[in-house]
Amino acid sequence: MGTARYITRRLAYGLILMIGVVVLNFILIHAAPGDPADVIAGEMGGATEEMMAQIRARYGLDQPLPVQLWIYLSNIARFDLGMSYYFDRPVTELIGQRIWPTVLLVLTAQLIAIALGVVMGVLASRRPNGPFSGFVSVFSTVGYAAPVFWTGLMLIILFSVIVPLFPVEGMTSARFRGTGLAYALNVAHHLVLPAFTLAIIFLAQYARLSRASMIEVLGADYVRTARAKGLGEGAVTFRHALRNAVLPILTVAGIQFGNLISGALLVETVFNWPGMGRLAFDSVLRRDYPTLLGVLFCASGVVVIANLLTDLSYRLADPRIRTGGR
Amino acid sequence: MADPLMSLRDLRVEFDTRHGRVTALSGISLDVMPGETLGIVGESGCGKSITALAMMGLVPNPPGHVTGGQILFQGEDITRAKPRRLRRLRGREIAMIFQEPMTSLNPVFTVGDQIAEAILLHQDVSRAQAEKQVVDLLATVGIPEPARRAKAYPHELSGGMRQRVMIAMAISCRPKLLIADEPTTALDVTVQAQIFDLMRDIQREFGVAIVLITHDMGAIAEMTDRVAVMYAGRIIEQGTSDQILDNPLHPYTRGLIGCIPVLGREAGDAASLPPLAEIPGIVPPLHLLGDGCAFAERCALADDYCRAVRPPLEEKGHPVACHHAGQGVPA
Ligand SMILES: Nc1ncnc2c1ncn2[C@@H]1O[C@H](COP(=O)(O)OP(=O)(O)O)[C@@H](O)[C@H]1O
Ligand code: SF4
Ligand SMILES: [Mg+2]
Repeated sequence: MGTARYITRRLAYGLILMIGVVVLNFILIHAAPGDPADVIAGEMGGATEEMMAQIRARYGLDQPLPVQLWIYLSNIARFDLGMSYYFDRPVTELIGQRIWPTVLLVLTAQLIAIALGVVMGVLASRRPNGPFSGFVSVFSTVGYAAPVFWTGLMLIILFSVIVPLFPVEGMTSARFRGTGLAYALNVAHHLVLPAFTLAIIFLAQYARLSRASMIEVLGADYVRTARAKGLGEGAVTFRHALRNAVLPILTVAGIQFGNLISGALLVETVFNWPGMGRLAFDSVLRRDYPTLLGVLFCASGVVVIANLLTDLSYRLADPRIRTGGR
Repeated sequence: MADPLMSLRDLRVEFDTRHGRVTALSGISLDVMPGETLGIVGESGCGKSITALAMMGLVPNPPGHVTGGQILFQGEDITRAKPRRLRRLRGREIAMIFQEPMTSLNPVFTVGDQIAEAILLHQDVSRAQAEKQVVDLLATVGIPEPARRAKAYPHELSGGMRQRVMIAMAISCRPKLLIADEPTTALDVTVQAQIFDLMRDIQREFGVAIVLITHDMGAIAEMTDRVAVMYAGRIIEQGTSDQILDNPLHPYTRGLIGCIPVLGREAGDAASLPPLAEIPGIVPPLHLLGDGCAFAERCALADDYCRAVRPPLEEKGHPVACHHAGQGVPA
């Protein structure tokens, strides 16, 4: 029904947003003082006239601005994000290697945050004035306020010095050469600490939100109807109440996706996780503009897709939006 | 006389509130006979809904507690029943419909699924059989195109349709007792009449006993066999519908019917009153109830004795709790 049209429309908006990001990138390069070719060449360290001409031709810098923008856009449309100054390899290739670790980290963290947050919220809501409920409130305040670096370092200290259970650096063990299941397990083992570090901030929010949401929903008339039917507390809580209580959590999870990705940048740096965040961080230090801009471009693409998926799951979960939005 | 289906015996319910413990029901006793319709009337806050919820073992806890008395369903005291036993009674032997059809159905499930859930819970039938029963039930409660409507979500139906769905759900397991807590208060007048017609049809067809909670004296006149009038957590008058309507003894009941001596209103303007009569003043908050008659502040017949001594429920033609029952301007 409306869903196909809705997706098309959302994709169109996403495309417009991405073009906006690209234009912004373009302006950033051109806002740098002097000839962009100098900026670009300068970062490569002393260029010959021949190289300057090459750069000008490649970016179309000898053309009028609108033409240049068009060339820039069409390069990107062909997935050409330029060459990394530092690695001297296509940016798309670099990102292609780095995007999956980031996606893995971000999705795992989001999953942990939502699942644990909801479980904590549900348990707390059963006795709104009980000790566990108090613990959740304190935990969510602390978890929300604590900086990622601090949480990450605390976890590193805890798990490298005090109880060395989980590796604190990289995505696989050094010189690890396994494949298949062994590889997956090795990665999962390395994933634990960064994912939890990233999850904690959001976990805190989801726990608090689902506690409040569950308390409200458990007082709703339809929950009373469910009890009057003769359903047990399990079915009342999980089937009737939770299905409604997760709706606001889905909304917030979608809104938080951008923050999750910026959080990933920090977490990847702390844990030396070979993702896009780490790449962006290194690119800033190295003034590797094409790489940095490419990462920004891909990150915004990931956010657009994530928001679309969130909205779709929301439509699945709430029939009032699915059928009432006409 | 047959044994009562449901009896409340001196039922007390208390709530923990900001003002400490308050008594919402102070010793309610009433019987519901098989197949009859008992009306419970009274203004907002008198304890009608809590009485209804108590019959289902659903007094919200916290903050509510049943602190005394018995709730006997077919002789079994459900205040002592295990949760498992209570769940087998609810929805199957005792069903309930509520005042707010707009919010009483879960917005994320189809109405068909919500009815089927009750059927699957209490009857040994397959999913397909339950779904067929759902369509039949929706037809029984007068919903057109029942097969299609079973797949609708609550927000796609009008208030009247939703209340019909609630009724279909309530009668799905052929309960012996149907409690209807102000089932039409939230609906248009024409829809109200349709819902009452439906309830009468269902009673005729299924022989179910109905407890009808309302503050609409017109509905009492049309629907009920017997009536209990509540005020501030007590029953203050009880009798057959004819006794209560034709010969009300308590000044509060007379005020409800719109015929009499209440402070600030002249006798005789009953004809101009809407079905829901307004009595000047408000029901006193539970934590401010004193030792005397709870109605004294609003009663034209009140004297010092009324304010000092609470009138017991006594037989004066029919049970009534008033020191000056039947006095004053005759009905
Ligand atoms: N959840 C609750 N917490 C505290 N007091 C309550 C609660 N529910 C009902 N009460 C009290 O019980 C009294 C009776 O309420 P209720 O049965 O809903 O009245 P009615 O249905 O007659 O309008 C009210 O005065 C109200 O203050
Ligand atoms: S006991 Fe007194 S105050 Fe109470 S209703 Fe009767 S006459 Fe009025
Ligand atoms: Mg009520």
